[in-house]
Parts: sequence; C-alpha cells; structure tokens
Amino acid sequence: MEVLMDELLYVVLFCYLASALLYFWGNNYAKNWVVKVALVLAILGCILHLVILVMRTVLTGMLPLTNGLEFLLSFSWITVLLYLLMQTRYPIQSAAGIVMLISALLVSLVAILMKDQLGSVAPLMPALKSPWLTVHVVTAAVSYSAFALAAGLAVVQFFKTGQSIKDDYIYLLVGGGFALLSLSIVLGAVWAEQAWGRYWSWDPKETWALITWIIYAIYLHVYRSRDWPANTTRWMVIIGFGLVLFTFFGVNYLLPGLHSYA
Amino acid sequence: MQGFNRFYSLVSSMKTGLFLLFLIGVTAAVGSSVLPGSFYQIPVFKLLLLLLLINMILCTFNRIKLTYRVLLKRFGSRVWFRQLGILTLHLGIVLVLVGGLIYATSGQNERIHLLAGDQVDISQVLDIKHPFTLQLDEFRIEFNEDGSPSQYISEVTILEKGRIMDQVEISVNYPLSYQGVKAYQTSYGYLVQAAYLDENGAEKAERFFEGEWLYPDGTNRRVKIYKYIPNFNPAYGMQSVTLRPDNPHIIISVYENDELLGIGAAKLNEPTEIDENVYVTFTGVEPYTILEVKSDPGLPLVITGGFALMLGVCLAILAAPGRKKNTIKTDDIHE
Repeated sequence: MEVLMDELLYVVLFCYLASALLYFWGNNYAKNWVVKVALVLAILGCILHLVILVMRTVLTGMLPLTNGLEFLLSFSWITVLLYLLMQTRYPIQSAAGIVMLISALLVSLVAILMKDQLGSVAPLMPALKSPWLTVHVVTAAVSYSAFALAAGLAVVQFFKTGQSIKDDYIYLLVGGGFALLSLSIVLGAVWAEQAWGRYWSWDPKETWALITWIIYAIYLHVYRSRDWPANTTRWMVIIGFGLVLFTFFGVNYLLPGLHSYA
Repeated sequence: MQGFNRFYSLVSSMKTGLFLLFLIGVTAAVGSSVLPGSFYQIPVFKLLLLLLLINMILCTFNRIKLTYRVLLKRFGSRVWFRQLGILTLHLGIVLVLVGGLIYATSGQNERIHLLAGDQVDISQVLDIKHPFTLQLDEFRIEFNEDGSPSQYISEVTILEKGRIMDQVEISVNYPLSYQGVKAYQTSYGYLVQAAYLDENGAEKAERFFEGEWLYPDGTNRRVKIYKYIPNFNPAYGMQSVTLRPDNPHIIISVYENDELLGIGAAKLNEPTEIDENVYVTFTGVEPYTILEVKSDPGLPLVITGGFALMLGVCLAILAAPGRKKNTIKTDDIHE
C-alpha cells in the first residue's frame, strides 16, 4: 500500500501542476478547450488525492488530521475541492491557476520532505487523544483553504482594471475562513484547557494564529467601510495567507512550542 | 462636555479598536520571535490588551444601540440576524477578555508532586473556600505496543474531613473538576530505590530523587543518582529508547574528592561496585505524579464568551449578504 500511495502522490502532483499550467495558458489566451482539460485534470487529481487520504485513514484507523504530513495532505485536498465546488456557482475561474499551483506546491512539499512518513503509522500521544482533535483540525484546514482561495482571487485582481465584483467574493471567502478560524481557535482553547490546564498559553502556534485572525478581522472591518483603496485590502488578503503559511510552516519548523507535533 | 464627547468617541471608535488590534498583532509577532515565552508579560503588552477590552466594551455597547435600531427599522430577518451575530461575537470577545482579566488578577495555580498513598490538603496549596484533600491511590503509565506512552493516569480519592467524597481518575485530557478547583495530569517523575551500607555500616534501603547523592560506607567515594532510564540502550546514550520499562537502568556518576571517576548505567537489582567491596544495589523505582491544581473564577466567563464568539461568527456568516448589491448596501451600517 505504501508503494501505491507513493506513486499516487506523484500522479496527483502531476495532475495539479499540469492543471495549473493549462489554467494559466487557457485563461490568458481565452482558450476554452484548454481550460476544460485543466478542469478535468483538477477533478482527476482531486479524486486520486482523496484515494490517498482514504488509504491513509485505513492504514492508521484515524482521519488524516493528526500530524504535519496529514494536515498538509488534507489542507491541499480541501483547497482543490473547495475551488471545484465554488467554481460551479461563482465565476472564479481566473483564480484557478494560482489555486492549483498553491495545492501543487503543498503536495510537492509532502513528496520532497515527508515521503517516508506516508506509509508509517505511530500511535497518538496522550495529549492528542481527544474528541476535540477532529473539529479543531478540520475547521483549521477548511479555513486555510478558504484563505488560499481568497488570496488566489486577490492576486488575480491586480491584473485587471477597475473595481470588480470579485472583491465581494474575496470578502465572502475571507468571512467564511474567518468564521472557521475563529471556531478552530476557540475549540483549540477549549481543548487546551482540558489537556494543558490553560486555554491560552501564548504558545507560538496560538500567537501566530491570533496574528492571522487579527489581520483578517481588520480586513473584514475596513472592506465594508470602503474607506481603504481596493488594492490595499487585496494586499491584506495576500499577506493574510502568507501569515497562514507561516503559522503552519514557520511555527512548526522555526518556533517550536507546545504544538510541535503539527 | 464637548471635550468629553470627543474623548469618548475616540476611545470607543472602531478605528481605535482596529489600531489596538494591529498593535497587539505587531507586538505579538515581534515578541514571539525576540522574547518567546515571556513577551506577553511585558506591561506594555498587558496595557494594550486592557485598552482593547475598554474599547470593545464601549464598541459593543454602541452596537447594542445600533442592533436595536436595525430591529426597529425592519430591514428583514437576514439583516437582523447578521447584526445579532456580529453583536454576539463582539460580546463573546469582551467576555473572554474579562474572564482573562479575572484569571490574571485572582486566578491561582500550583503544581503538586504525589507518591502513591500521599495526601495533600488543597486549601494549603490554593486559597479556596471549600477545603478538601486529594489522596493519590495509584499513578500508572499505560503503553502502546511500540512502547510509547498511551496514557498517564492518577487514581485519586477526594476526602473532606476524612470522609471519602469520590474516587476518580485524572488523565491527560480528562482533568478533575471539584468545588471550583481543577486538577490536571501535567507530568510525572521517579524516585529511585537503593539498598546499601550507610556511613555507619548499617543496611539501608532508601528512596532518592534524581540528582540526589548517596554516600556508601567503607569508601570516600560518593554516588550521584543522575537519571532513571526505563529502556536503556547504550546507542541512545542518556535517552530512553521508549518509556516502557523494558530494560531499566540507573545512570550514576561516581566522584572521589570532587573528581569525577566515571559515569555508568547500573542495571536494576544487580549490585554495582562503587569501590573495592563496596556495592550499591538499585532495587526499583517508584513513580510519582505531578498534578497542576488551578482555581480560575474567570473560566465560566471565558467559556461562555468563547461559545458566544463561535455562535455569533457563524450567525454573521450564514446571514452574510448575498451577491445582490442592494442587500450589501442595507447590511452594513457603520456609525
């Protein structure tokens, strides 16, 4: 099964990368058939990605949410899935290239840095054995995905002239991501109170999650008041996603603390 | 009066609140890199949090008035729900901050070390109204197949004036909550049991904390009981392979006249020669539990606030304006 997961991972990576390139090409030169192929590749990648997640679940007997590798796999999968679901209702196809590229980069990190962990199983440490684990991590992963999508749309806005309706979609995505991030932080605090005896320790992960929460909170306030130029608020969404990535990677690998397992 | 009004609107304004949030974010970002583990104790940082609380109380008060006006103007249930959600989430943040302030001013927490059979009068540890005693009946570590720890469990009896009130297990993620006091499984340690002839030649069986000294008879050498290693493997050095006692050893160092003669790993229940015909036998270890006991009168407020925040933010998002421009216009009414 390990070998199969390994190979599937590369197929998924290929699908996402190819899809990203085709989306860039198709969107740029208004080639409809290219965009369609890109969509098919994204869907195929998403399905195979799900197969890896299911295999991992079968292997460990737990949902794939318990360590850095599993979080990356879930976060990148949810990002693609969220895009695929949203593009059926909203005209956000112009951001597809960036979104697929972000997912491809996340998957490639798994392939480069953590491939040997893909088939390995370790029992949960006592602090992680809690019913709060699933909701805390799922809300975090979905919020990160919403922020990824919002950042993708924000980047695309820079290449267009004039105020676009898409800024409102960015606002809705950030709003949804912010709600889920709030849930994740509060549920994490409730869990920390039981596991560590304190709901807030200013642990690096908590601190940077709060910083992320703050920048999006400011964005949500100033976007509605329309006091700030559109480009400034777009930059906030992009920087916000940078903070999301730092909260995940930077804190895990540069600022170790209580959250050292994920 | 005009001066006061101007001051009030400055302190209570959303812009001030956002600016404070921004400052807190920047300070935390710099602090967590420069002073990790202590930046949040700096007075300036505490002051920022306090100012945010004051601003949010006033902001939320203004929001109550606003929400009431929205209700009167009958914009429709969607707008009303959104306003209610935004109000609830701000109220939640205020409650969390107030609860945190209460903990900062009157919360107490202490760590207690207990061996099996030990009793501790909690009112001696924390200043509490309802005194009770905790007795540790057993502390044990459960293991997974691979030898990694699966759970740390303290079995305790709660006593009041000698009467047994309850018997419970405290484990990681499952604290004890009793009469406003919570007790958490926080850590553990070992006492090392050693049999030897003491300075007067008498047979002794004693317990030592890690790091303590042992003075055997018949030599001027002394032994530092450095560390208990449950699963010793020379390739791992001072690290235990796993926490499970599959190959228990005691790391000791032997000194003569302040000079280190050597470091070694002594197997349990095998006499270890310290000097010619001088032996020490390590007969076992006794685990002790470390519990953190806490009294936090602000906790109910923080929990209520946390849930209000979650409820409010969900309500605000579910009732978010759709794509139509007109709903957006009526939705967000800023002062």
